[in-house]
Amino acid sequence: MTIISPEAPARTGIGVRKDYHALNAQLNLFASDGSIQFDKDWEAAEEYLRQHVIPNTRTFPTVTGRLDWLVANDYYERAFLEAYTPAFLTGLHERARGAGHRFQTFLGAFKFFASYALKTFDGTTYLEGFEERVVATALFLGRGDEALATRLVDEMLFGRFQPATPTFLNAGKAQRGELVSCFLLRLEDNLESIGRSVNSALQLSKRGGGVALLLTNLRETGAPIKQIENQASGVVPVMKILEDSFSYANQLGARQGAGAVYLHAHHPDILRFLDTKRENADEKIRIKTLSLGVVIPDVTFQLAKENRDMHLFSPYDVQREYGTALSDLSVTEHYDALVADPRIRKTTISAREFFKTLAELQFESGYPYVLFEDTVNRANPLQGWINMSNLCSEILQVNTPSHYDAAIGYEQIGRDISCNLGSLNIAQAFASPDFGATVETAVRALTSVSDQTDIDAVPSIAAGNDASHAIGLGQMNLHGFLASQRIRYGSEEGIDFTDIYFLTVTYHALRASNRIAIERGTTFTGFETSAYADGTYFDKYTERDWQPATERVRTLFAEAGVAIPTRGDWAELRESVRQHGIYNAYLQAIPPTGSISYVNHATASIHPIAAKIEIRKEGKLGRVYYPAPHMTDDNLEFFEDAYEIGYEKIIDTYAAATRHVDQGLSLTLFFRDTATTRDINKAQIHAWRAGIKTLYYIRLRQPALEGTEIEGCVSCAL
Amino acid sequence: MTLTDTMRPITEISVTPPGYRHDPGARLRPINWNRVGDDKDLEVWNRLTANFWLPEKVPLSNDLPAWQKLTQEERTLTMRVFTGLTMLDTVQATVGEICQIQDARTEHEEAVYTNIAFMQSVHARSYSSVFSTLTSTPEIDDAYRWAVANDLLQERCKKVLAHYYGDDPLKRKVSSTLLSSLLLYAGFYLPLHFSVHATLTNTADMIRLILRDKAVHGYYSGYKYQRGLETHTAAEQEHMREFTYALLEELYDLELQYSGELYEPLGLMDDVAVFVRYNANKALMNLGYPARFTPEETEVNPEILAALAPGADENHDFFSGSGSSYIIGKAVDTNDDDWDF
Repeated sequence: MTIISPEAPARTGIGVRKDYHALNAQLNLFASDGSIQFDKDWEAAEEYLRQHVIPNTRTFPTVTGRLDWLVANDYYERAFLEAYTPAFLTGLHERARGAGHRFQTFLGAFKFFASYALKTFDGTTYLEGFEERVVATALFLGRGDEALATRLVDEMLFGRFQPATPTFLNAGKAQRGELVSCFLLRLEDNLESIGRSVNSALQLSKRGGGVALLLTNLRETGAPIKQIENQASGVVPVMKILEDSFSYANQLGARQGAGAVYLHAHHPDILRFLDTKRENADEKIRIKTLSLGVVIPDVTFQLAKENRDMHLFSPYDVQREYGTALSDLSVTEHYDALVADPRIRKTTISAREFFKTLAELQFESGYPYVLFEDTVNRANPLQGWINMSNLCSEILQVNTPSHYDAAIGYEQIGRDISCNLGSLNIAQAFASPDFGATVETAVRALTSVSDQTDIDAVPSIAAGNDASHAIGLGQMNLHGFLASQRIRYGSEEGIDFTDIYFLTVTYHALRASNRIAIERGTTFTGFETSAYADGTYFDKYTERDWQPATERVRTLFAEAGVAIPTRGDWAELRESVRQHGIYNAYLQAIPPTGSISYVNHATASIHPIAAKIEIRKEGKLGRVYYPAPHMTDDNLEFFEDAYEIGYEKIIDTYAAATRHVDQGLSLTLFFRDTATTRDINKAQIHAWRAGIKTLYYIRLRQPALEGTEIEGCVSCAL
Repeated sequence: MTLTDTMRPITEISVTPPGYRHDPGARLRPINWNRVGDDKDLEVWNRLTANFWLPEKVPLSNDLPAWQKLTQEERTLTMRVFTGLTMLDTVQATVGEICQIQDARTEHEEAVYTNIAFMQSVHARSYSSVFSTLTSTPEIDDAYRWAVANDLLQERCKKVLAHYYGDDPLKRKVSSTLLSSLLLYAGFYLPLHFSVHATLTNTADMIRLILRDKAVHGYYSGYKYQRGLETHTAAEQEHMREFTYALLEELYDLELQYSGELYEPLGLMDDVAVFVRYNANKALMNLGYPARFTPEETEVNPEILAALAPGADENHDFFSGSGSSYIIGKAVDTNDDDWDF
């Protein structure tokens, strides 16, 4: 996700219209012959570069002259450039220039220059084009390794690998935020922890990360404080403080901070938590910009199946009686014991009503996200319990609590979670001359970000990163690639491809991490107790021969020259991993890839497209139109949108990927306005049964009332 | 009640409460949503209730940085445009919709107007939310003083009000449709223009919610007008046609003068004029009449036209706003089959 973005170049008066906006908007209006006006968007991109970018770009006679000027004027850091010779720097820039990169859409170019390109401090002049940003990123991540820097330039310029926004935006710049995308913090049931977390949220927002916080352990409304009954105010006031904290980060010049909070479904405040997103919620409890997530264990589904009440357990009593935080025990496993235990205060609500309320809120606001607690933990290769996710619901890692003294210093530094992300463009990566090397380069780039990151303002985050070197390799452009091959999203072949593709990526990612462990002679902390160390992680790959189920997919892999790992390959990798370990505790996470997929010319993540011509609305861009990548007048039929495709096929596609991904995948569900809460519930049940780990937003599409449409409008013609 | 009364349809032997005005002796009938004569009433009612929203849901304060970057001139324009919109919504909420209740053809139509009137009040209030979030009390007071003192703004409203308080139900409908589909839109041009240029995007989100409602309001008044007109003689129909085009002409002239004062200083008036003509045609279409202006005269900038589509299909970025696509869902219980695993 993008959080920090520098200011756009100085604005001319708001009265001035821009030709390129008009050209771009014609994408959303049919030509007189009823065709989509792709050419107008190309013109828009050309005009944007010609009228706006080129006249506002500073040029330099030589590469070294440019770099010297940027360093001398405090735009670039010095150290990362000094790791290379001037001749290499010049050569690498020339290589990048010669690659012939072009923006494929207006939004791609507009987004890059509005959000990523380095500008003068007064915001008037561009100091980088796409090639220069790529080279700076490659040099920064290469840390003096010329071969790695060169490979990275190729991977990024050919669009095979695209680092996430914080990395691509910030690498090499002297005035910058962190390169890491996501932070996850847990709160414990005491004021010191709450206070420290608010401080951490501010610090992390300032540095440009999205922050998620776990509220499950906070005592519920009416719980005792110092044994006096009916004192605690519950989770909602803490949410209000956090919401305002994230808004404050806005005022520090960056874009507004973004935060999420997670709560367990069996926390007694669960309905209060959800009601903060009601359309008519009182201002005192209304939450506008904070994202919500709910952690749901298997037992809740079982109770709903039997149409029984679900018990909500006081985290205060659980902590006191069991000595364990509610977030650290399996509610499914302990459910009957907790219900039977008279020392645990509890209330009940109908399980089906709970699911219905969940769906009502999702209709009204798109929230909450859902995390299927037991599915996530069954698939977790590490020791420990996963109790939360992040702002985009794809990060799933174990954490441990911190303890504070009265002055909120650390008595014991626990481990909190951070993750840096980057995604492969499936179409481009699949066409790579060496697919394995492409994955390995991506893993090394992401590892470099982890190695170069030290969030000293939040010691628990720094400790977590030091121990885990966790990274999140993502994927995008699945729909674009499938459609370009005339395969339908969610078809048997589409799901088969997804399965084998992710299997192959997993193999190469593990092998890369294993190689790094061998080179450095070290593994992530906790490797010894993981499913990698005892080899059980590999069982599913060695117990059977995992090959394409359809001829079409077998041919695709053969023609692309991408080898599918055999049982023998897996067994060999298992032995090397058992002997040497792996460097990264977590390797993959599939983010939603909003911004970078526009720049990279990819369909977002592994979702279907939201529309053939997407209407994109963002704070920094305004309203812009984006044609689905790879779409032409000839293959329109393969670009069914997510609302047409329906939730089953989306979930089944994600399920095929999920079994190979160690962390999570951002999965948005799309409904038409004719859907009911029951349809959403059915989708959630289907997702849970299919082994999905998390659900991200619910998006709704309401077509214009018949008779009120705008004539000739592509987005109205559904 | 007599025996014959029980044989006759209930609508013949009773009136809805507004009918009391004409016949205090008549029997009163409660609204019955289980007998809907015109399906359009139910369709529009469902759409309106699903689209219910309140300005409090929009994080307007995220627009503060953008507001601070506007020039004084641009801020004044924005405040005046919004005060003008508030004026029109106040007219609609307190008089325009309410006065159509007495002319309703069905009891459900009466209910729809009460809903529309309420939402018009929500719209009027939502501009105040923008003001109180972005500006100061003295600036707000200045804008309201400007509205009270501005002759063109006053005349625009009074032209319509005269018909609302007149005695011709069809003229009320025409006036109401022209207000909803023509007069308001000159004001919407500015936030639409802003949204294309990434300024005040949360305010623009709110305007999109308002547009989503207005598209339905104008359409509904026009639809009911056409149903009413059908029952009149050809001569009466011809009279209404002449009336409609004449009123449109008057309002169009007034609109150009009023908007000209506002938009001219920023050089946007040419575009706004095209936009007004486009919406004039749209208003006529809602009333079932042919266009007044030629296609060449109504070629709205593509970026504005594309932004005008009332469908809720913007793929917004959740980190900078709450979007304009969410609605109140229909709650339906799951049953045992759904949980069969």
